[in-house]
Amino acid sequence: MYTLIIILGLAATVLFVAGFGRGLRNAIAEYRSHSFEPSDVPDFNYAGVAAISVIASGVIIALAGVSPVFIYLGPLLAIVTAAGVGVAFFVEKSNA
Amino acid sequence: MDKSIFAAMPSLTPTLGYTAMIGLGLFSLALSYAIKTYLVRNTHDFIIADRRIGLGFGVGSVIAVWTWAMAVMMSSAMTYQWGLSGLFWFVVPNGFAVMAMIPFARVLRKNMPEGYTISEFIQYRFQQSKVATGIVTVTMIFGIILEILINLKGTSVVISTVFGIDWKTATVVGITCVLAYSYFGGLWTSVMTGTLNTLMITVPAAIVVAAVYDKIPGGVTGVFEAVGKAGAQNLSVLRPEAAAGFGITLAFGLLAATVSDQTFWQKVWAIKSRDVGRTFLWAGALFYPIPICLGMLGLVGIAVGLKPADFGGDIAAVGPYIVSHIGLSLTLVMLYVLVILAACYSTIDGASSALSSIVAVDIVRRYFPGTSEGRLFAVTKVSVLLGGIISTIIVLSGVDFTTLVLTTYALKTSILLPLVLAILWPKTTTFGFVGGVVGAIVIGMPIYEMAGELIGTLSILAIGGAIVFVTGIIGAQSFNLADLRRIPDEVKPAVGAE
Repeated sequence: MYTLIIILGLAATVLFVAGFGRGLRNAIAEYRSHSFEPSDVPDFNYAGVAAISVIASGVIIALAGVSPVFIYLGPLLAIVTAAGVGVAFFVEKSNA
Repeated sequence: MDKSIFAAMPSLTPTLGYTAMIGLGLFSLALSYAIKTYLVRNTHDFIIADRRIGLGFGVGSVIAVWTWAMAVMMSSAMTYQWGLSGLFWFVVPNGFAVMAMIPFARVLRKNMPEGYTISEFIQYRFQQSKVATGIVTVTMIFGIILEILINLKGTSVVISTVFGIDWKTATVVGITCVLAYSYFGGLWTSVMTGTLNTLMITVPAAIVVAAVYDKIPGGVTGVFEAVGKAGAQNLSVLRPEAAAGFGITLAFGLLAATVSDQTFWQKVWAIKSRDVGRTFLWAGALFYPIPICLGMLGLVGIAVGLKPADFGGDIAAVGPYIVSHIGLSLTLVMLYVLVILAACYSTIDGASSALSSIVAVDIVRRYFPGTSEGRLFAVTKVSVLLGGIISTIIVLSGVDFTTLVLTTYALKTSILLPLVLAILWPKTTTFGFVGGVVGAIVIGMPIYEMAGELIGTLSILAIGGAIVFVTGIIGAQSFNLADLRRIPDEVKPAVGAE
């Protein structure tokens, strides 16, 4: 499992760094272009997804008390966090 | 399985400690200088990043400022003290507190698109009331100083313990590193270095925790069985004493820590409006794995039967002690130190950046409206250093900062419901807002002192909310939040004036 976590960690790092580079380029391009930035706020309140993630966090902690294998969920999900931030850079739209 | 597997690591020299602290600082400084060159021309860019922070930097930086150095250590400590119930009550409200910003952020960003600070909102919401605005401004400043103070103190203690560096020297070196790079690029620096720090927290934390379990005899199965033998309640998330002992109080404290914190409000107005809601959603959800991962170190502490006396008496040290004594390679121990340093630096630079927005908008622009853009920019940049300098003086003086902690707690908790109602309930009055905060402090804090944290916290919240509610019902006023859309941008230079 240790080796798998290192491999996944490296993959997440690559995704993160690629996303960071994209975000940095977009930020500079938008700043230089002085493009118009709309001030609309979407109507979604995200309450459902937020509730699911709160419940999921509790369930994941509880699972660590059910079987020892779930102890590794923490490290695996920490890698998901790094990958998730990387993905966020690719999901966002640029105005440049 | 017992604690005989632990031994001190002789290769952790002071030179390595300084290298880690200064190395991370220099890396951030180089990035900061590049950011300043490309993205920062004036005060508006410096304190609000031209309102162009996208989803990626938004999510990465919110996670980074919310991951305090103490949180890295306390997730292990709470698990060590209360088993999985401790981790549950520490973690679940933490991510929720970030996501709780979504409704407030959406309302204010929609109705006050040119805002900068929460104190500025209060100023316009309550007809320029100096008392209401002053209370909120002071609360924000106290909160920021406390954030810096706690992270600085916690990190200096860890660095001094692990590397044998004098804690006062560690404090000065740490704050110098952060302030050096924070000075240049303002909020853009904070979000970009913070985002990188999120990477330095997550992947190293996962690798180090997995390495600890790989190193310990019996691995996860051995730890799981030993924890169960030490007490079956350690593997349950349903221990009521954990909820009563700290969980419920912490939950409200964390809500106050986000909703009553300019560090978050600054980002609400700096992130692109279309990304504001989902940034806090992603950040809250993606924050969860960090304390869950690090909390697993606490189970190792229970499994091997560590006693607080083994690591100096403070349970916050259980994680650092396990990592630095279980026989991991030097590289892995340094990775763990990097996790703590990254958490410390990103929280301090986020707080320093928030302080600069308060100084620019709530102090200089409000009380010295004729200040030129050039002078405002200079004052704003210098103000980034203020919180760090004040906090360092307090830490180095060795004074007990319990009074500061209590004062900040009282202000933040007392302001929580009045602030929430000011945003969401149009009938909230100026008298109700001020009366709610003052009443919660004057009546609620003595109850807190006499009846303890849980009853005290609930009393403070109930008193503050009740006063706002009753005065709102009695009063005939109704504020139209949409009126705030007419408020001009107070800092952005006119086109051609830069």
